[in-house]
Amino acid sequence: MPEPDPHEVTQLLLAWGHGDKSALDQLMPLVYGELRRLAQQHLRRERAGQSLQTTELIHEACLRLIDASQVRLENRRHFFGAASRLMRQVLTDLARERGSRKRGGAARQISLDEAMVVSRQRDEGLLALDEALTALAEFDARKCQVVELRFFGGLSVEETAEALAISVETVHRDWRLARSWLLRQLHGERPDEA
Amino acid sequence: MKPEHWKQIEALYHAALEREPDARATFLDAACAGDEELRREVASLLHYDSLPDRLIDVPALEIAARELALAPLSGATAQSAIPARISSYQLLAPLGHGGMGEVHLALDTRLNRKVAIKLLPAEFTTQPERVRRFAQEARAASALNHPNIITIHEIGKTDSTHYLITEYVEGETLRQRMNNAPEKRLRLTEALDLAAQIAAALAAAHEAGIVHRDIKPENVMVRRDGIVKVLDFGLAKLTETQAPPEEAQSPLTDDASTETGLVLGTPRYMSPEQARGERVDARTDLFSFGVMLYEMIEGHSPFAGATTSELIAAILRDEPAQVPEASPELQRIIQRALQKERTERYQTIDELLADVKKLQKRLIVDAERDDSPAEHRLPLTPAVNLAPKAAGAKAAVVERAAQISSGLWLTGLRGWRLAWLILILPAFVLFGLWYRTTGKRSIESVAVLPFINDSGNADVEYLSDGMTESLINNLARLPNLRVMARNSVFRYKGRSAGPHEVARALGVEAIVTGRILLRGDNLIISVELVDGRDETQLWGEQYSSRTADLLAAQAQIAGEIATQLQLTLTPAEQQQLVKPETSSPQAYEYLLRGRHFQDKGGTEDWKKAIEYYQQAVTADPGYALAWAELSGSYFSLSYKGLYDQNECLAKARWAADRALELDERLAEAHLALARIRLTDWNWKATEQEIRRALELNPGLGRARFFYSAYLSLTGQHEQAIAEARRARAPDPLSLTANHNLAYRYLLARRNDQAIEASQALIELDQNYPNARAMLGHAYEAKGMYAEAIAAYQEAIRLGDQSTDIQIYLGSALAGAGEREKARTILKQLEANKYTSPGALTALYLALDERERAFAALERAYAAHDNQLQFLRVSPQLDPLRNDPRFIDLMRRVGLSP
Repeated sequence: MPEPDPHEVTQLLLAWGHGDKSALDQLMPLVYGELRRLAQQHLRRERAGQSLQTTELIHEACLRLIDASQVRLENRRHFFGAASRLMRQVLTDLARERGSRKRGGAARQISLDEAMVVSRQRDEGLLALDEALTALAEFDARKCQVVELRFFGGLSVEETAEALAISVETVHRDWRLARSWLLRQLHGERPDEA
Repeated sequence: MKPEHWKQIEALYHAALEREPDARATFLDAACAGDEELRREVASLLHYDSLPDRLIDVPALEIAARELALAPLSGATAQSAIPARISSYQLLAPLGHGGMGEVHLALDTRLNRKVAIKLLPAEFTTQPERVRRFAQEARAASALNHPNIITIHEIGKTDSTHYLITEYVEGETLRQRMNNAPEKRLRLTEALDLAAQIAAALAAAHEAGIVHRDIKPENVMVRRDGIVKVLDFGLAKLTETQAPPEEAQSPLTDDASTETGLVLGTPRYMSPEQARGERVDARTDLFSFGVMLYEMIEGHSPFAGATTSELIAAILRDEPAQVPEASPELQRIIQRALQKERTERYQTIDELLADVKKLQKRLIVDAERDDSPAEHRLPLTPAVNLAPKAAGAKAAVVERAAQISSGLWLTGLRGWRLAWLILILPAFVLFGLWYRTTGKRSIESVAVLPFINDSGNADVEYLSDGMTESLINNLARLPNLRVMARNSVFRYKGRSAGPHEVARALGVEAIVTGRILLRGDNLIISVELVDGRDETQLWGEQYSSRTADLLAAQAQIAGEIATQLQLTLTPAEQQQLVKPETSSPQAYEYLLRGRHFQDKGGTEDWKKAIEYYQQAVTADPGYALAWAELSGSYFSLSYKGLYDQNECLAKARWAADRALELDERLAEAHLALARIRLTDWNWKATEQEIRRALELNPGLGRARFFYSAYLSLTGQHEQAIAEARRARAPDPLSLTANHNLAYRYLLARRNDQAIEASQALIELDQNYPNARAMLGHAYEAKGMYAEAIAAYQEAIRLGDQSTDIQIYLGSALAGAGEREKARTILKQLEANKYTSPGALTALYLALDERERAFAALERAYAAHDNQLQFLRVSPQLDPLRNDPRFIDLMRRVGLSP
């Protein structure tokens, strides 16, 4: 994979920020490749005894992908948004892929493997969450973004606030309600317990 | 959901959350005012607010990062995602993929080893009978257990995927090797060396009735140390019934890439009978081998064709082009292998192998006589002119060196070749030894004197010392040759002594001396081998950066020595002996710099050493010795109470594992592992590893020191002292050796001897802080607190920054009655998170805090503190020895009271 050109990435981000949907399609492979490379690097470091710092990953990618000279705060925001959305895409794709493989195969013996069971539960949960998130976006796009940034992008509350240009307090409130709402979608209604 | 409805819910939700949980129901009753649906909505959301959730409360990125790292390279999305785990194999990184499926590096979690996992494409494995035959054959080939055949660990399947687990070979394919060579042509000696190994693999397989069927450069791996592994025996069986691509019009790429599908019909290496789809026998491999050998020499394949069908036609019809680069013998070998009729070829691979070996031998003899054709002459005498063709690389290095900025960078100044020279010097000397000892008086012992730095520039001291040490280490591996240890010879550093005198003093027959001279950009190295008995020069050579194509010489001399010594050496030993320890001159230079700092002995020096070792393993991740040294530096650093002990040890452990994985026969790697085993309190394994290290290299001084330390920690004091004395005998002036001996005296409670040894140490070097600390311990043990305090204070003044020395000072102060001062020190130490609780026990005891001492010991036990290694022998812990709690702790640490 060629080295992404920071200038190009920044231009694409700007275009995407101004509503050019096709820019995202070009952006995704670049960001994906960079994230993947960094993730591998981090994983190697992790094996060397350091822990995997995931938010670092996004920041590092941001630093490498964006031409600092032409970046305004706005672009960084787009970047985080794109990276988080990308994470969502990648993760749900992976979960879906694994799921179909398991169903497609004879599915024998596999349940004996405990790790597989855990990851299958997780996969199913992720897919349901993705669906619920799409539903949430229909009537509250910002809360969906908060979840994308925090859950998929691994951003802190403060970073999420900065990325969305809202207050920290709002991020807290949005996250809390969105979280409850999503969990209810995932686990079903529990009426009247308050 | 309607926006205003959602807004309402949101407002009520947050308003309710502001209230105490038990007040929320009442609040909602009032706020919703009979709107039951709204109330239910908010209440159910509130229910989830306090519930923890495994999925949503962990950022998905934690998992995503791992999955991303393991996801295939190609896709921009995760469409072709591969599982992270297959059976007990955890997939780590893709290694590549070809017609036979994807190959990944994986971790065998049961045995904790790296393996390669090959996922066979479903289309090859739909017929169970074929899979069975393939598995049978692959297993049979693997069962041959030949050093040049890759080992297959397992053939298995999950629900849908067949996979093959093989040993993981770090290196490159022969294809890559050729692509990286100038004009894709390998040097003759290298080509013959690789060819001989491939032929040996085939010979073993053929003898067992196994035909490879798909011999090609992609199926030959060349390890960093030059050892060949032939892959994919039997794999061709999976595909052989499939015809070559029908539409044979697709243009063939130049490098014969193995895209899916093409592998079935990559006809480039096919024998005519294979191309015709006839039944094949072992002789098909001979033809393929011939094509490959031709390609190694010529840089292209013998049969040309723009398309598959043209190529097949050429194989069936054309005589191969001549091999102008090859000698008549080599031409004959290639032509006999490439006969169209298999009855006219070599009939067995053994015949072919014999001819290859004959040719190798002949080349060596020619080189000695110096009358062989120019291209193939061995540059044993440094006569071949060196054109500056590494100019580009050199520029890059200079740039890098400029960035590093400290000191003088050999690689930066003079390009790669010179550093190569240093790497291969041992091979030259070995050759000299061999060459002069055949037919003459035999030489069974040798000492390498420290190389003299004539440059008048202390910055290249690391180079002269480092070269000496490398040479000693390499020679020490030679059986039937006694080589004086580093410590024995370094006392001659800076002293002028005649070879005869030195040889007699050290009891050796021959002496190697060397000088280096840096003049401008040019480094000149002179090496001499002298018979110590009569001072005659047995061999001598001078090298400069412009005199020899060293890379080529390295491979050739290595091959030669291996051949000449094969009567006394196993193949593995030969390989070990003549291969340079790293393929990267840069990495070697980093190692030498690291050692230079390691030997200085201060904590700051160790940190610098670590930096250099890290650079060394970055430059060459396959550099076992650098990993071992890195491990050692981290180990040393873990004792000082200056850094997080566990972090240091985790890194030391990781590096030791790497070293051993890369070179099981490296004494330093076993020493590194021994240290780790000690920190595990695994006493038995510690002894095993250290014995193994000494077995592999009896001259490794550091291993001797460590062994004496082990003996002393396990209470075998007399043996420990004897061993420490033995380790010191060859070099009575070494700081490390003397410090080690003093320590053995101290732990054996021979306090007066410890004091004497410490004072001798101080005389050797007034500024060596460890000598003062040792003296302090000995005085303290004798109850001479004032003297102990003075000694500890002096150690601190000389730069000992460890928390340990503060502990000793504190306990000596307490012993002297200065309890307030001791308590102040204790407070400071307690606040420092890196203070070793095990070491701190001594201070508690000095302050009569017996219970806190036990509490500290328990903390030390929980933290797996290094200091508990001293539990059995530490004089400071003597007041606790009869306490059952102490006895129990000893037992838990694996020590008998």
